[in-house]
Amino acid sequence: MTQHTVKAYGDELNHLTAEVARMGGLAEAQVVDSIVCITRRDVNLAQNIIAHDDKLDQMQIDIERKAIKLIALRQPVAQDLRRTVAAMKISSNLERCGDLAKNIAKRALVVSEAEPMTPLTRSIERMGHLVTGRLKDVLDAYTSSNVNRAVGVWWRDEEVDEHYNSLFRELLTYMMADPRTITSCAHLLFVAKNLERIGDHATNIAEIIHFELTGEDMITDRPKHSDLQS
Amino acid sequence: MPMNRDDSASHSAVQGPPIKIRARDINVYYGEKQALFDVAIDIPEKAVTSFIGPSGCGKSTFLRCMNRMNDTIPICRVTGSIEMDGEDVNAKSIDPVVLRARVGMVFQKPNPFPKSIYENVAYGPRIHGLATGKDELDAIVESSLRRAGLWDEVSDRLLQPGTGLSGGQQQRLVIARAIAVGPEVILMDEPCSALDPIATAKIEELIDELREQFCIVIVTHSMAQAARVSQRTAFFHMGRLVESGPTDEIFTNPRDSRTQDYITGRFG
Ligand SMILES: Nc1ncnc2c1ncn2[C@@H]1O[C@H](COP(=O)(O)OP(=O)(O)OP(=O)(O)O)[C@@H](O)[C@H]1O
Ligand SMILES: [Mg+2]
Repeated sequence: MTQHTVKAYGDELNHLTAEVARMGGLAEAQVVDSIVCITRRDVNLAQNIIAHDDKLDQMQIDIERKAIKLIALRQPVAQDLRRTVAAMKISSNLERCGDLAKNIAKRALVVSEAEPMTPLTRSIERMGHLVTGRLKDVLDAYTSSNVNRAVGVWWRDEEVDEHYNSLFRELLTYMMADPRTITSCAHLLFVAKNLERIGDHATNIAEIIHFELTGEDMITDRPKHSDLQS
Repeated sequence: MPMNRDDSASHSAVQGPPIKIRARDINVYYGEKQALFDVAIDIPEKAVTSFIGPSGCGKSTFLRCMNRMNDTIPICRVTGSIEMDGEDVNAKSIDPVVLRARVGMVFQKPNPFPKSIYENVAYGPRIHGLATGKDELDAIVESSLRRAGLWDEVSDRLLQPGTGLSGGQQQRLVIARAIAVGPEVILMDEPCSALDPIATAKIEELIDELREQFCIVIVTHSMAQAARVSQRTAFFHMGRLVESGPTDEIFTNPRDSRTQDYITGRFG
């Protein structure tokens, strides 16, 4: 893309995008770690995640301020405006991902005190990989301005939902077989739900990237299966 | 091929506003030098259309085609067709003087006549025989000044010279003068470039009110002004119409990279 005539303006936009990418890296790491602390029962790591969440909140506030200032002082239009608004929206989605990771970490603290439930945590781990994979892909799409990659993430939205639904059935089976597992299972159910939500944020981010890069909304006729069980 | 969003299939179902001016294959030459190339555009009734583009791209030249002001420039030659309500403005049967009353023009520098405020507005209706007596003329002057948002500021000094008003007031006086002859189209060539922000805001407010009755075309170098006042925007570059369409679309999602570069401040 051609340079801005006012160079400082172009620099500010680039800086904003870089900050969002950096925030994305941190949010992704928090999510990855939150799954590790569930599967490895790592209490220290969980506490670390909880302590780090502030950082994401701060980054989001920072990005929002910078974007507002840029809108006020530079009056961006066209792709510059879309880019500025996208930065704000993506950062708020990432901030939510951070909150969800923190919530998973808190539940890891509780779950770690109960008996291990290996097959279940395996299922959580698989779902976690799927979700972090999508988050990673969508952030790569953002940093490389690759609309096809964003669309790819968007199309794979259903896989996570399917995982969630089968995990839900699995958890029910455990709880019915042994009521002593109900506490842990309930926590793990929330963990799965949080992962599903993180997946939804990845989908949102994919949509935001699509609008930023093309100026068009993503076509909305993606087959959506029943939400009954979620 | 210039891009016109309304030609696209997705818009064809939407009934647009009626077209006031239809220009096709407009080429303009100043002597040997060609200033406009194959310009084609539809300008809707009762709406504001803004022309934007770098200096020298031909905005004023095209504006002058619409009321045949280019006729007054000896070396200027215009080919192609411009229809107003389906009628060719370049036809022999059209009297340019009458045409210019139907298509009024407001320039960058306010240019009131060196006469009283009253005379500035009364002049046009008088020479076009629009009023039969003094009372009628008074009424036209008052209503034109009111519509131009100037009446309250000048009603007690109508006989003082128009040139004694502030720049912003002079520009509204010129607009009142244009309105007085009952035009159908008002062309404005950078009407606010010599005005401060408050005077500019008043003109913009006025433009917004006038669009209910007139077809307005405004040339502006202020992207923000084009975005604020117009419903449609046309981008010119090096004598060509690059892209035209609804203003909100041009400013959120321009199709052509030249439009994009221009409105985002990437080239001058
Ligand atoms: N009277 C004239 N005689 C010769 N050339 C002219 C005349 N008027 C305009 N031109 C040329 O035609 C081209 C288009 O000029 P025009 O004034 O229409 O541009 P513009 O888009 O209105 O520019 P600006 O934004 O600076 O007012 C320019 O190259 C200009 O030099
Ligand atoms: Mg000009």
